[in-house]
Amino acid sequence: MYDINKVNTHIVPVRFTYHSPKTLEEALELLSRYRGEARVLMGGTDLLVKMKMRALEPSHIISLRKVRELDYIEFDDQGVRIGAGTRLRTIEKSEEIRERFPALWEAVRVIGSVQIRNMGTLGGNLCNASPAADTAPPLIVYGAEAVIVGPRGERRVRVEEFFKGPGETVLEPDELLREVFIPYVDDAGSVFLRLTRTSMDIAKISIAVAAWFRDAEITDCRIALGAVAPTPIRIPRAEEFLRGRRISMETLDQAGRIVSEDIKPITDARSTAWYRRAVARVLTRDAFTIAWHRFESRRAG
Amino acid sequence: MALEVLERRPEGRVGREALTIVGRKTLRKDAVAKVTGRELYASDITLPNMLYARVLKSPYPHARVKSIDVSKAVEMGAVVITSQDVPQVLFNPRLVSIPEATYKDWRVLTDRPLFVGEPIAAVAAETEELAQRALEAIKVEYERLPAVFDAIESMKPEAPKLHETIILKDREVKVERNVACRLEIAEGDVEKGFKEADVVIEREFRTNRRYHNQLETKAVVVNLEPGGGVTIWCTTQTIHNTRLLIHEIFGIPMNKINVKKISLGGSFGSSIHTNIIVPIAVALALKAGRPVKLVYTREEDMHDHVSFQMIFRLKLGAKRDGRLVAGQLQAIVDIGAHQIQAYPILGVIAGWWVSLYKLPHVKYEGIAVYTNKVPSCAFRGYGNPQTTWAVETLIDELAEKLGIDPLEFRLMNYVGEGDIFWGQGPTVKTVIRSCGVEELLRRGAELIGWHRRPKPGQQKGRFRRGIGMGRGFHTSSAGSPVPGSVIDYSGAMIKINEDGTIDYITALMDHGGGSLEAIAKIIAEELGVPLENVNIITADTQTTVYDVCTHASRGVYAGGATALKVARQVKQKLLEMAAKILDTYPHALRIRPDPKRGQGVIYVEGIEGKEITIGEVAMTARHKNWGTIAAVDSHRTEAGPPHFTAYFVEVEVDTETGIVKPIRVVAGADIGTVINPDLARGQIHGGFAMGMGMALLEDTPYDPDTGDLVNRGFLVDYKTASAPDMPRLKDFTVFFAETYEPTGPFGAKGLGEGAFNPAAAAIANAIYNAIGVRFYELPITPEKILQALRGGGENV
Amino acid sequence: MEIEFTLNGVRKRVQVEPNELLLNVLREKLYMTGTKYGCGIGECGACTVLLDGEPVLSCLVLAADVDGREVTTIEGLARGEELDEVQKAFVEEGAVQCGFCTPGFIITAKSLLMENPNPSEEEVREYIKGNLCRCTGYMNIVKAILRAAGVIPQTP
Ligand SMILES: Cc1cc2nc3c(=O)[nH]c(=O)nc-3n(C[C@H](O)[C@H](O)[C@H](O)COP(=O)(O)OP(=O)(O)OC[C@H]3O[C@@H](n4cnc5c(N)ncnc54)[C@H](O)[C@@H]3O)c2cc1C
Ligand code: FES
Ligand code: FES
Repeated sequence: MYDINKVNTHIVPVRFTYHSPKTLEEALELLSRYRGEARVLMGGTDLLVKMKMRALEPSHIISLRKVRELDYIEFDDQGVRIGAGTRLRTIEKSEEIRERFPALWEAVRVIGSVQIRNMGTLGGNLCNASPAADTAPPLIVYGAEAVIVGPRGERRVRVEEFFKGPGETVLEPDELLREVFIPYVDDAGSVFLRLTRTSMDIAKISIAVAAWFRDAEITDCRIALGAVAPTPIRIPRAEEFLRGRRISMETLDQAGRIVSEDIKPITDARSTAWYRRAVARVLTRDAFTIAWHRFESRRAG
Repeated sequence: MALEVLERRPEGRVGREALTIVGRKTLRKDAVAKVTGRELYASDITLPNMLYARVLKSPYPHARVKSIDVSKAVEMGAVVITSQDVPQVLFNPRLVSIPEATYKDWRVLTDRPLFVGEPIAAVAAETEELAQRALEAIKVEYERLPAVFDAIESMKPEAPKLHETIILKDREVKVERNVACRLEIAEGDVEKGFKEADVVIEREFRTNRRYHNQLETKAVVVNLEPGGGVTIWCTTQTIHNTRLLIHEIFGIPMNKINVKKISLGGSFGSSIHTNIIVPIAVALALKAGRPVKLVYTREEDMHDHVSFQMIFRLKLGAKRDGRLVAGQLQAIVDIGAHQIQAYPILGVIAGWWVSLYKLPHVKYEGIAVYTNKVPSCAFRGYGNPQTTWAVETLIDELAEKLGIDPLEFRLMNYVGEGDIFWGQGPTVKTVIRSCGVEELLRRGAELIGWHRRPKPGQQKGRFRRGIGMGRGFHTSSAGSPVPGSVIDYSGAMIKINEDGTIDYITALMDHGGGSLEAIAKIIAEELGVPLENVNIITADTQTTVYDVCTHASRGVYAGGATALKVARQVKQKLLEMAAKILDTYPHALRIRPDPKRGQGVIYVEGIEGKEITIGEVAMTARHKNWGTIAAVDSHRTEAGPPHFTAYFVEVEVDTETGIVKPIRVVAGADIGTVINPDLARGQIHGGFAMGMGMALLEDTPYDPDTGDLVNRGFLVDYKTASAPDMPRLKDFTVFFAETYEPTGPFGAKGLGEGAFNPAAAAIANAIYNAIGVRFYELPITPEKILQALRGGGENV
Repeated sequence: MEIEFTLNGVRKRVQVEPNELLLNVLREKLYMTGTKYGCGIGECGACTVLLDGEPVLSCLVLAADVDGREVTTIEGLARGEELDEVQKAFVEEGAVQCGFCTPGFIITAKSLLMENPNPSEEEVREYIKGNLCRCTGYMNIVKAILRAAGVIPQTP
């Protein structure tokens, strides 16, 4: 419960035991040992903020800074595998990510500031499970998978199914996110867009689209939005509607209408539910327009 | 890159072309310390044996403390104070007005909190963390009372009462319907005026409650001196008023209270009064018998102060030919839970209003109302930006209705040279002696392309551009020929050291705008020494004479005038001594800076060899026991002249998302002689950024369920512009009008607040020009714009 | 616990608590007060330092996590009395007003110019967007950084 007298952003007003494992194995062991009482610390840009606000008070902090085996971007013949401990700035600097997964690159690039991206990690962004996490919508439309490890071994969950609610994921207290796998979608046109109050802000609303076309016909598409529901969400009804239709302002507008109906936005400090619904429609149209252009120019060149 | 239009060298003014330092670009003296991290701010001070303090804040917007148990905290080794441990006096933390205009309703710590965040108790301990834990160990039982968050609601008979009685001077005043104070003014016959008018428009405006977001949160460090004295370093715009208040509350003799001048990490009015944490820290230090440091976190700081919020009912009438004939203004001011300068703001709102445009008949009513919210204090412009936004909006509307170009309409009606100007409300009046308004408007219009701007509401397409203007001013000091209800004088001491360097000692604060830098230039200019030789001394209340406060854009104008007066006294002594040495007469001597010798050189024109450096005079004076060449004095300026500003802004509105982007700015300022050109431009850039925040972004709404700020004080939900949100360098033009203020030092006036005042108005008018919709409530968010464009509230 | 790290080229060994922040260790234990607190939650950039050569926010870094690493603060930029190019440009372009944001900006700008010696105005603005300034409207700051990079000449 929030208490004005417990909050203190000048210090970390919570006492904990600090652990600094060097390997994933050690980290998992510690997580099992302090099951439920421990939190892993990556960049700390979410976790330490929450601790200062007293939204989280773990008694054990497991710093993963020294666990080097979580920091990698590897391309193989299936797709790319990004270690959960890879910093956002590293992803931003990857030319290949920019080329092959433009929506993810666009999302990463607008997160926080250079400082935040130097600290924050992909794993942290997902595990923090903010409805506004910017990497989530692109990962969802790319069909990415979360690779989870724990004492019971490894399991894979689609990013789309990774979130359960604000701050909640499918991770068990003794599990870790190890990697995000994104299959290649080189033939898609994709994009990420978001609206904010200023250029240094969390999204009021965000959208990612990946779409495939035959001439002007949308053969397939995926739409995901952030900050408009308790978790990042996909809009299957709008995807369904668009499949097999020719791209036109009218069609997109109708799809936008479906999107604005299917999201479940709230009014908060950043925006109103009404506004979020209103611009969801615009963003849908804009996103598809860009995706189509990208698809076309990709095919041409 | 054509960055900015450089101001032309002033011509034709007596003596101006002879200036060698004033008006030139020079390097700031304090900048090197600031870029190397060596500059100290109050929050940087650490003392041996010091305790760290934390404040226990009310979690409720209105409550009574039924019981408070501090035993656990004491057991932990903390020093704790509650309302029982502090002097039981009511006070007003701002001491700029005379006692007859100062309402007192504050206590150091309260047992009847009136807003979420009001200090109830405080602790001090060996570390901040320990203090934090001790704080959490205090048990308070509250009786919750009903609260009210809107000024209009608050005046209704059924609203909860916040204060029963308060104190004015030495007398108790009963508070009726939560009205903190009230002011009415009438000149002419407003009814008659409106009857004569061909066009009358009346509107209601609502401004935002903005948070200053000065980058340094409030801080104080208190040291104890032998014999019951205290030394204080704190964020303040006025060290002398801080000392006065601590004396008033604790009864410590003034010569045992020493308040140190120290750099301030921005203020914008937030430390115009003595911050509540200062008496809290003093009380803690006295009880603990040890030094105490108390620095607010950002979220505490946001629960400490905001701007005044106004609800204006403004009515203006004009003749068909474009002459304004009558105006009526009601200002309901939401002041939050306590008075910091509620009464004076009622006066200045009237003053800003009648000083914008000539109104033969006026009627004004100002009502300050208590609500269960964070108390309001001055915020850059002190009610002027709000007033200007309302007036400049209505002026635009009137012009349109009359079919007159809004620019010409303004030129027909503005208050200018020879007119009476109310610098700080009805008791501070000045005749305007310098005015560059016409130049600002004509040149600004030309630079922005005013006559090519689109017709409002005629554009099609998603992205629509519009150009708007806002015109304004601010007073430079609260000086006037007779004493008003506002205290306004400065003090300075200048002494010449034996090597010819100069010490300038003053209590005047520099918030970063460069006031002291400008004054050093004024002194160097007058004494004929290289600027490097003028040293701005770190000072305190013990070593300086009184200076009221750095506010009301008075630093350069009033502080500079004072320094100039004292410099002249010093110069007279210097020349008398030099004349003795050179065997001539003081009035036959001249001084020029000699960069080679790094000295000012005193000489007789035309006679070679008859010269001596200032250092040689000072050293001779020492050897001959003539004494130190020094002077100290106070000074009250006989005027508080307006400096004028005008903003022309081009915006682009995305009609699909409601997002507004300012893309081009032309800003003109009439500040008399420009002493510091680059710093003056910097003030305008910063003023525009703040204006953008006021127009488009900033507000501190409340959650009626919790009674707390919706954002809980976290900066993540109080957005201000960052670098990419501002126009590009080539799209931001600043120019200065060529004027000379006869009452100002070397013809100078102020700038700090005028640089901000009309910016929001210009943006609002530009939005109208782009999309044909006017907004009467700030900030103009994308949400409001979209709603207006979609015909209000319709669900997509 | 004890940590050891390099601060502005000098080895430091400090006793810290697990929950202590780098910002407070710098300011309160090592008396390096050039690095400032402005918000504590990553919004303002006043606490920016270089950690292993990259700009991070010291208000969100545990001191314990700095063990064995290299930290550069504003105090570490000038060589004696000789200012760094960026510092000099900030002084000369009027980019400093109250100065409370200045250390953070200079550290961030320093990092930008190390990564990208010839930034465009857009790139400068984007790179410094996590640093808040309430005084300058960023104009002279942007100018100073471009000037330090030699992209634009000194303002006369
Ligand atoms: C000023 C500011 C601006 C921001 N702007 C944005 C923005 O624009 N968009 C956006 O999406 N986010 C933004 N964020 C949020 C944050 O920076 C990102 O979410 C970041 O990616 C978090 O990564 P981290 O490494 O810092 O996470 P941490 O804070 O270290 O961890 C976050 C949470 O995830 C858990 N965790 C981390 N890694 C793992 C793992 N591998 N396995 C299991 N659990 C794990 C932690 O225990 C913790 O609960 C902003 C934050 C700040 C402070
Ligand atoms: S204090 Fe660290 S970002 Fe504001
Ligand atoms: S100079 Fe004051 S905040 Fe930047």
